[in-house]
Amino acid sequence: MTRDSSSAKEPGLSRRPEGSEGGGRSSAPAPSQALGAGSDEGRLIGRVTRCNIQGFAGGIRLTEPDLPTFGGLCRAPAQSGRSQVIGLIYDISIEDDDLARQLAASDVPQDEVRLDQQFVRPIPIEIRALSVGYHDGESYIYDLPPQPPTTLADIHSLTSPEVRRFTESFDFLPLVLTAQQLPTDSLLAASFRQAALARPESERRAFLVSAGRECARLLARDLARLNNLVRSLQT
Amino acid sequence: MSLDLRQVLPQVEQLGQEAARRSAETAARLPQAIQMLSEAAQLDPEELRRRIEHAPPTTQPARPTDEPIDEIFPLPAHPPRLRVLAADGSQVYPDRHGAAFFYVVNVGSIALAHGSGLAPQVHTRSRLHFTDDDLEDTRGHPVDSHLINARRDAAELEELARLASERADGPTLALLDNGLLLWAASQEQKAARPDVQRVLQAYLHALDQLQAAGAALAGYISRPRSAHVVALADAAGAYPGVLHGLTDRLLFGRRLSPLHRSARFRHPAKINEVFAERGHEVHFFYLHTGAQDGIARVEVPAWVAEDPDRMAAVHAGLVEQCRLTGIPYPLVRAHELALVGQDDRRALETLVQAALIRHGIPGLLSQKAQTKRWTGRRRRHRI
Repeated sequence: MTRDSSSAKEPGLSRRPEGSEGGGRSSAPAPSQALGAGSDEGRLIGRVTRCNIQGFAGGIRLTEPDLPTFGGLCRAPAQSGRSQVIGLIYDISIEDDDLARQLAASDVPQDEVRLDQQFVRPIPIEIRALSVGYHDGESYIYDLPPQPPTTLADIHSLTSPEVRRFTESFDFLPLVLTAQQLPTDSLLAASFRQAALARPESERRAFLVSAGRECARLLARDLARLNNLVRSLQT
Repeated sequence: MSLDLRQVLPQVEQLGQEAARRSAETAARLPQAIQMLSEAAQLDPEELRRRIEHAPPTTQPARPTDEPIDEIFPLPAHPPRLRVLAADGSQVYPDRHGAAFFYVVNVGSIALAHGSGLAPQVHTRSRLHFTDDDLEDTRGHPVDSHLINARRDAAELEELARLASERADGPTLALLDNGLLLWAASQEQKAARPDVQRVLQAYLHALDQLQAAGAALAGYISRPRSAHVVALADAAGAYPGVLHGLTDRLLFGRRLSPLHRSARFRHPAKINEVFAERGHEVHFFYLHTGAQDGIARVEVPAWVAEDPDRMAAVHAGLVEQCRLTGIPYPLVRAHELALVGQDDRRALETLVQAALIRHGIPGLLSQKAQTKRWTGRRRRHRI
């Protein structure tokens, strides 16, 4: 179990979990642009509908501009609010909607109706997040939480300062890399891009290089995946 | 499943047969009803008025206006810009088995500027009612659903008045998903109650504001069941009672072409006299929206009815807004914004229980409510 002080400004206060040791030799280039970061800062993006120790899912109705993004970090309270489980959003689905289907099948909608559907009317969404750590009230701990969030717990996106603090350590990477049946390479790339955008511009490239090095160390024996991840980071 | 479908099945078959028989019987009488309406239109207006006044009061025949009663009006031009407002409300009634005694009125509204190319603006106004004034009427009795409904209706109209007072580019059409007469005040026994009178005054004040704002107000009633125009034709005929069982919707379903409207009529309800005294006498007409089964009843106050521009905005605006969804799109959205779903109710209940516990009160449901929860799944049946 590792922990990273939420108030600490410098990295390196955390320890790696057992079995996460590995060598690295690749560096990640800084992307020319990244997607979506900062658009859903600290917003309510769902309420937990089902969960386990490894992750949680939440539903809500949101408007299109408020939709969370793939690779974003979020938090949901657990243990009666004593801890916050940190989730990495790996899937966003839009649920079935009878009114939208009716409009799609009918005459060409007025511009105002189309805009209403796209930007004003909340659409039912479901997000799924992988547990990548938790905050116990004092610091971030990069391991699975002791308890999952409870049903209907509010899920908020992390603010930029929270994203910066959480990603000061890369000790959450083993939890992502060992997750089964997830697009982990694309997920990590998206997550790194958003974490970079949560930093001042002058620090972004250095952050991405560090993230790439850590991935290279962890994936030293799986060059195909490493290559895939680096390519995702470059796009 | 506690409903025994095997027992119900023969009755369902009989229901189908009965509906088919009734439909054939009414269809056969419709030409007569149309003929009688035409003949009534030929009567001297004074004679028509006399016959209406002699009709049994329970039939409530519609009162004619300046428009010939059998006239049909084509679709007018739609204004290039039209601001369409809609408001709808829902409520959570007090539950004596709940953790606390309260009720909620939730009003959703939308302002859609047709022709602007801009996204509409939406609002939801939620209010928890929990004070003694809210929960007891002036007799000291617990608030009942009629009074809550009346307060909800007034809140809807007040929301429309608020939106209509904002500056607009072009005319404004303000829509309610209901008739315009305050239902609780239309029942004499209830109208006498001071609480209902207070709501009625607030409602009439909101009508004053809408009139002053220059809005074209309309109440939209989908699939209406009333028979005021049929009663008028019946009262004007030689054998009153022959049209019994027909409805205005059936009559105008046969008589109106798509996108056309009927003549206006004055609403015969007694409460309309109170509205008339304040300058808000309610008129109504029937409109074929162009949708399948698209006969709607539209109610407008006299200051809209007697203004050709506002009437044109109501007629053309409703047809345009019905084009996509069968009933006006802004009303669909206002309803959606107002609706308090089961999840919302549960979340509110949890919040209330937590607040009670924080203040040292056990926020417990009654044993009956608890047992209903335990058996809740068994009470939901898909037929």
